[in-house]
Amino acid sequence: MSNAALPNGEALGLEVPLGSIERSLQQIWADDQAKTRSSLINFAIYSEEAGDLGRHCADLEAITAQHSCRALLVVNLAAETAPARAWISAHCRPYQEGKVVCSEQISFVLQGADAAQVQNVVFGHLDSDLPLMVWWQGSLKRCFEERLYSRIHTLIVDSSRWSDPAAQLQRLLGAWRSADFDVRDLSWTRSHLLRTALAVAFQDGKALEHLHELQHIEIVHGQGHRSAALLLAAWLGWRLKGGKPQPAAAAPQDGDASLQWISPQGGTVTVAIKAAAPAADQAAHSCALLSLELSGGGMSVRIWRQSCSSFIHIRVCAGEHQHEEVMPADSVSDAGLVGAQLERAGGSTHFREVLALLPHWLEATGSH
Amino acid sequence: MAELENPFEENLLNRNRAEPCTVVIFGATGDLTNRKLIPALYNVAACGDLPPQFKVVGFARRDKSDEVFRAELEEGNRRNSRQGHDEELWSSFAQNIHYHRSEFEDPAGYVRLKQLLDRFDRERGAPANRLFYLASAPEAFVPILDMLRASGLNHAPQGRWARVVCEKPFGKDLITARALNDTVAATFAERDTYRIDHYLGKETAQNIMVLRFANALFEPNWNSRYIDNVQITCAENLGMEGGRGGYYDTAGALRDMVQNHLFQLLSLVAMEPPTDLSADSVRDEKVKVIRALRPLIGPEAVAANVVRAQYAAGSVDGVARVGYRQEDRVNPQSMTEAYVALRLFIDTWRWQGVPFYIRVGKRLPKKATEISVHFKKPPQVPFATRRLLGNSSENTLVIRIQPDEGIAMRILCKQPGQALNMQQVKMDFRYSSSFGTASPEAYERLLLDAMAGDATLFARCDEVENAWRFIDEIQRAWHYSDKPPPMCEYPAGSWGPREADELLRQDGHQWRLL
Repeated sequence: MSNAALPNGEALGLEVPLGSIERSLQQIWADDQAKTRSSLINFAIYSEEAGDLGRHCADLEAITAQHSCRALLVVNLAAETAPARAWISAHCRPYQEGKVVCSEQISFVLQGADAAQVQNVVFGHLDSDLPLMVWWQGSLKRCFEERLYSRIHTLIVDSSRWSDPAAQLQRLLGAWRSADFDVRDLSWTRSHLLRTALAVAFQDGKALEHLHELQHIEIVHGQGHRSAALLLAAWLGWRLKGGKPQPAAAAPQDGDASLQWISPQGGTVTVAIKAAAPAADQAAHSCALLSLELSGGGMSVRIWRQSCSSFIHIRVCAGEHQHEEVMPADSVSDAGLVGAQLERAGGSTHFREVLALLPHWLEATGSH
Repeated sequence: MAELENPFEENLLNRNRAEPCTVVIFGATGDLTNRKLIPALYNVAACGDLPPQFKVVGFARRDKSDEVFRAELEEGNRRNSRQGHDEELWSSFAQNIHYHRSEFEDPAGYVRLKQLLDRFDRERGAPANRLFYLASAPEAFVPILDMLRASGLNHAPQGRWARVVCEKPFGKDLITARALNDTVAATFAERDTYRIDHYLGKETAQNIMVLRFANALFEPNWNSRYIDNVQITCAENLGMEGGRGGYYDTAGALRDMVQNHLFQLLSLVAMEPPTDLSADSVRDEKVKVIRALRPLIGPEAVAANVVRAQYAAGSVDGVARVGYRQEDRVNPQSMTEAYVALRLFIDTWRWQGVPFYIRVGKRLPKKATEISVHFKKPPQVPFATRRLLGNSSENTLVIRIQPDEGIAMRILCKQPGQALNMQQVKMDFRYSSSFGTASPEAYERLLLDAMAGDATLFARCDEVENAWRFIDEIQRAWHYSDKPPPMCEYPAGSWGPREADELLRQDGHQWRLL
């Protein structure tokens, strides 16, 4: 590991020997009566990339501002084995009467550590009795082993960052079947309020009456967020009781996908998954999902996010009848999405169903 | 025709989803609408929980346009919204707010209201559900309900619902509460009637059931074998500021707070586990507690178990304060209590012999509402020769309702050192320090529940009537007996009259120090 890649000590806090982490943390609280330690979960970020330390620290700071936890940052570099290093710090926010509430952060930089070493480092520094949530950065690679994930309560992944989605998905599904942990995918979370908006749109009785006439679905996603669109499409197919997805006859443009399924009424529903044009509003590309449109017969429901604003617009047209609504939109920041997951406590039961269907969609879009 | 199912509904949030509706607020130009109801609805919208094609109609006597009404509400929302004020969201939200001018007793006003709601239905393309919110002065409740019935607005179109939300006070005694219940029952079915008690919308009040029934630690000990006494305190440091003396002097602490808010908390603490979390299962158990309260009949029984008091001049937070009878809009000869302390017994197997002490008062040293459960002392056999700390040697579980919502537990630990000395320590959970996100305002939760048809956090008619039945006996002893119990006095800024301390001292107890 070169010196340039060494973490900035100021950002990570106080470097301490691994064996005296707990004692050093206690010292922080003993020295300052105005600080109160608070912790509801153990929250760990695990990464095998060196370059993102600053981003991870910023994410942990944003998350701890809303959710008290013991934060662990584990960066495990693929290099020659070297002694692990550790830093301690605290993220604090004002509380009352001049007091502040703080969450502890312990940062580890490991080199060439295997799953056993990672397990030892993580599990040796948990706040006891509190659940462990791990936000796994990037692909599920070398250290994603049973002895590690079997101790995790909730695993957060981001399938939009997977280099080989089909293989990663199989690995995740295999682990999920063998161990009892909860999985959250930020790509799924990115569509949470859009799915809610769709449910709201079809609370309109007129639109619901025409839903069986559905012929076409179009999903437009931001650059790099195809997985969010695929998960959304798979969910739509499942909720509408569509048959197995097949490639549609019409050839899509590069990067786009066109699929179809047979509806329970025997009709064909086409699904177009499109990436926003690169020339489009640059702000739009920070959004995972830009629009969703369901149309057919006399019905059209369009849900869109203008320039990635904080709100989703819903337009419902059913014959002569039409109206528009505005709803809050999902966060565009990863930390915001993780925070939303923490607020929701229990995961979505739908996600488990959709994840099982996803291989069909990857196959139909040629992503396997 | 079978109801179509929305395939996109997901049990995403473990919370109620409101159904499309129009909310008609009677008394819409009042403080409650401006300060609480509209900001609550706006925040429900900001969380994405408002249904589509949602409308608000403000019904009041003053003459004003939709635009003026919206502008007033916008100003109120800027001041009072929990999540701030966003122009884009407000703009979308406010376009669905309308104003309807009418006297509450004017039949023509209700005909025009019906026409307005019908027009909204035509614009929607389907009839909507209707939620009538009585936020007017209580004396207008009956005329409004009569007019809703006469105009047919109490009946929803087929497949839809019409509901009514009643603000407190729900009557001022058993007779008036029954009369009001009769009028409500003649107008709306009980399942469509939502009597609001905003204490039940508070996070910690809802948490009482979770604490008791989701933790195996507490429920086995939640009875007379292990619990020595329970104290419920609702302290206010305010007096009669802002002209509230006019209303308060006609109500008093017993009717204003105990009959509703504190009895609701008492019910949640003392009830048996419900068989499920449906509204009626929970409310069945709550009403059993009120029914099992040992009645206080006659002035002797009341004098022995209830202390009433008014504050004399004193100081709060270093500011000199006048006595209750010198307050603005208060009768100088007033016999209305600004403080009341009660010793109650619940005659059930679980609670036999356990006193429940309740105190509520104005101009106390600080604002705080909490429930404290005091456990019996252990036999102390191994520590018999050790000096303990009097009453503080008992374990206490404290449920803080407001402010600083949370739960604390007091336990005994060994002091470090060679000697075996014991020290009380406190384990403290605070919502605000553990969860960075602010809890929703009580009205947000309650409005959402009313729109979703979940009445769990609302009082049922038998709860209200049984509570009044108990309270009326005390009022009778105070105001209609030959030997009424005395009106005690305490200096403003103190923790109440000496007589209230004596009430507990008789049992070997003392009020928890807040």
